[in-house]
Amino acid sequence: MSADATVDELRARAKDALQHLRGLGSVEDLAAAKRLVEALRNVRDYETMGQVAEAVSRRDPKDAKNRRLYAQYLIDTGKATVAIDLLRPLAQRLPKTDPESAEAAGLLGRAYKQIFFDAGDKTSAGAREALKQAIVAYRKPFEEQAANTWHGVNLLALLTRARGLGLRLAADLEPRDIAQQVIATLEATPKEKRDEWYLPTLVEASVGLGNWAVVERNVRAYAAAADAKAFQIASTLRQFTEVWDLERTDDRGRGLVNILRARLMELPGGGVELGRAELQRLRAQPEPDLSQLEAVLGTEGPQTYRWWKTGLDRALAVAAIRQQLGSRIGTGFLVRAGDLGREPEDELLVLTNFHVVNEHGASPGIRPDAAEVVFEAVDPNRAYAVGELLWSSPPDLHDASLLRLKTPVTGIAPLPIAAALPVVEQTARVYIIGHPGGRDLAFSFQDNELLDHEGPPAGKPQIPNVCRLHYRAPTEGGSSGSPVFNGRLWEVIALHHKGGKMGMPKLNGKDGTYAANEGLSIRAIAAALKG
Amino acid sequence: MPHVTFIHGIANKPPLDDLLRIWRDTLADAAEPLPLGDRGVSSSMVYWADLLYEKPEEDLSAYEGVLENTAEAIDGGGNAPAPRPQTAEEAAFIAALRAKMTTLSDAELETAAPVPAPAAPQGALERVPLPWFIKKRVLNAYLSDVHHYLFDVEYAPPGRTPAVRIQQTIRRRFAEALCAPAVSRPHIVVSHSMGTVIAYDCLKRVTDCAAVDGFITLGSPLGLDEIQDKLQPGWSRADGFPHERVAGDWVNVFDRLDPVCGFDPVLASDFRKAGQSTVEDVAVQNEGTWRHSITKYLRQKSVATTLRRMLRV
Repeated sequence: MSADATVDELRARAKDALQHLRGLGSVEDLAAAKRLVEALRNVRDYETMGQVAEAVSRRDPKDAKNRRLYAQYLIDTGKATVAIDLLRPLAQRLPKTDPESAEAAGLLGRAYKQIFFDAGDKTSAGAREALKQAIVAYRKPFEEQAANTWHGVNLLALLTRARGLGLRLAADLEPRDIAQQVIATLEATPKEKRDEWYLPTLVEASVGLGNWAVVERNVRAYAAAADAKAFQIASTLRQFTEVWDLERTDDRGRGLVNILRARLMELPGGGVELGRAELQRLRAQPEPDLSQLEAVLGTEGPQTYRWWKTGLDRALAVAAIRQQLGSRIGTGFLVRAGDLGREPEDELLVLTNFHVVNEHGASPGIRPDAAEVVFEAVDPNRAYAVGELLWSSPPDLHDASLLRLKTPVTGIAPLPIAAALPVVEQTARVYIIGHPGGRDLAFSFQDNELLDHEGPPAGKPQIPNVCRLHYRAPTEGGSSGSPVFNGRLWEVIALHHKGGKMGMPKLNGKDGTYAANEGLSIRAIAAALKG
Repeated sequence: MPHVTFIHGIANKPPLDDLLRIWRDTLADAAEPLPLGDRGVSSSMVYWADLLYEKPEEDLSAYEGVLENTAEAIDGGGNAPAPRPQTAEEAAFIAALRAKMTTLSDAELETAAPVPAPAAPQGALERVPLPWFIKKRVLNAYLSDVHHYLFDVEYAPPGRTPAVRIQQTIRRRFAEALCAPAVSRPHIVVSHSMGTVIAYDCLKRVTDCAAVDGFITLGSPLGLDEIQDKLQPGWSRADGFPHERVAGDWVNVFDRLDPVCGFDPVLASDFRKAGQSTVEDVAVQNEGTWRHSITKYLRQKSVATTLRRMLRV
């Protein structure tokens, strides 16, 4: 399995593998499918991973690694209790000498840990029991073998969390002892045997000792590197926020979390989802200390953080389009009329998709008089009624509707419009701020790879005066009507139009399809508005 | 769509794609951020390190970091040997250029003992407070690259054949880059170090080169007499501006402590247009001890604002 296979390539291979495994399927096909499960996990395509893992399980139900990976798919798709049912007998049947034994036990711990974190009330009986079971699951492999440092560091983090909650679970264990043991084991690991988890594990163990200088130095070693990996930073961030609860327990920890969040957003595959309250809290927080920014991210730390803060500010102008007194049906955003060639130039208008709001309420959209606009990051209780539909363009053209609100919006800065589309090059990124599918009051900041567009210099628009963009979202698509921003400036380049997991025909006359989201150029929309 | 053609300077470099990415990212992260891609500006790099060095630098950290503890981090990558002159003219050229950089002999530079800094430095490198075991490699790369280009040496890096005429080959690459299909107007050339000499040479003296709309030189040694002499015919003090192929401005950015600029960092008086000073010389102060790094120049606000003005974005 080539290390740099794209998501599209892996999905195409998965399709073939599933077909082969349904038929006679050779031994080689089965082996290839097993490798594919891991590769799909690495690109976080859990749904496809689960399909292949299921197909492999039907052919080789005793393959422990595949069963373990199958359990990981279950956890990562919100089915932790099913994962536990799978992992518990697996952990019991495997001999201790089997490397999968410790892996299965650790994953069992992770399943319980997830249940604990998902619990709204961490002190409820169910949450406490999950925390207890997670500690038991991590403890055993660590005590059996000190080299199981990831079990150790999770044990450390959960024990610390339990103590913070006033729970005396595993009362015979002292977190500082575990931290020191993990650090000693890590430091004794020869350099050539240190893997990509070496530094993140060392960082967490150092948090356990409250040694912030060591924490920041080691975070910098992998977070500030030019080839920093999003999954490493995302993992540390998740542990810091969910397990260690650093944002609430330590000022320096809060600064570090903020810095990591900013850095994560910069990296390919990075993405952050924030609730409304969290967004407001982050905007209100003071900027991390300059020395801490530079200690963790180097001289470019302040720049990275300012960029992230700008993104948070942009979210204020992103609105939920709701059915009056009903649920959210899409996203829209605030624009200055003059930026779209309308007058009066300083009037603030809302742009969304035609298929969200249109004159006759053509499905799946609703009529303007049935819609309300809520800038949830500013005030979730203030709904603006739509006064007038100023202009619209159907889904097969610009899929856009420009709305005038009955009451003028004040106190929210409109989103800036980019003067040009980004150059399509390997490193080009775009960002979407929207309300991820089905979840109200949440903002998804997604990093997307810009795949292609129909703008200058090489674009060949297929529909006259319409200019489409394709970009790949690593996770779920943003909702309809979201603004699509250029990567560095947070200026709107497009109106998000639709997402496609697979089967999106390529642009500019290129053959084939791929997994892509589609947006419509804001400049082309502005040109259409001018007529 | 506006376009920027970059051309790099002395010594070995990372692979082309990485080098181009580093330059673009540095501009995007500058004090006055200029993300070319987001502004709809395409860019390309005239790459010539492969003609003089065996293989690209694989460790990018020296090029992206701020430490000045290796030769690679201060424009001394590739471990170039000192140039071997074939003629008396070449020997005189190298000796004169070398004298601008240091008055110490090769033997003195080879000694393990630190060379004490003279009270009044005679050479540009001597005023750089870094150890000579690092600076020596910069000196060699500088003399070697400049010599190979200006004397059009037939050369191939170790283990690579056939040898090619360095100046002719780089000129061809530059000319091809300027008229590549991806290039559109306004078109600006941004050059650094030895790249400023190459770009100037092509824009002034190579008739096949396409015209551009602006020219930016960063950390340029074009002010040195020895180099100007080698740019004749073509260059003259009264008519040195490459108006033949530069329709707009030429902005020259320098740091007075950049040793590659020597003691002649200002170009306006040496590259006049019809006798008039038209080159805009801009003095900046780069960070750290080694003031020649491209990443330090690209982070300068004046570089970003100049480039943005020329690109009209």
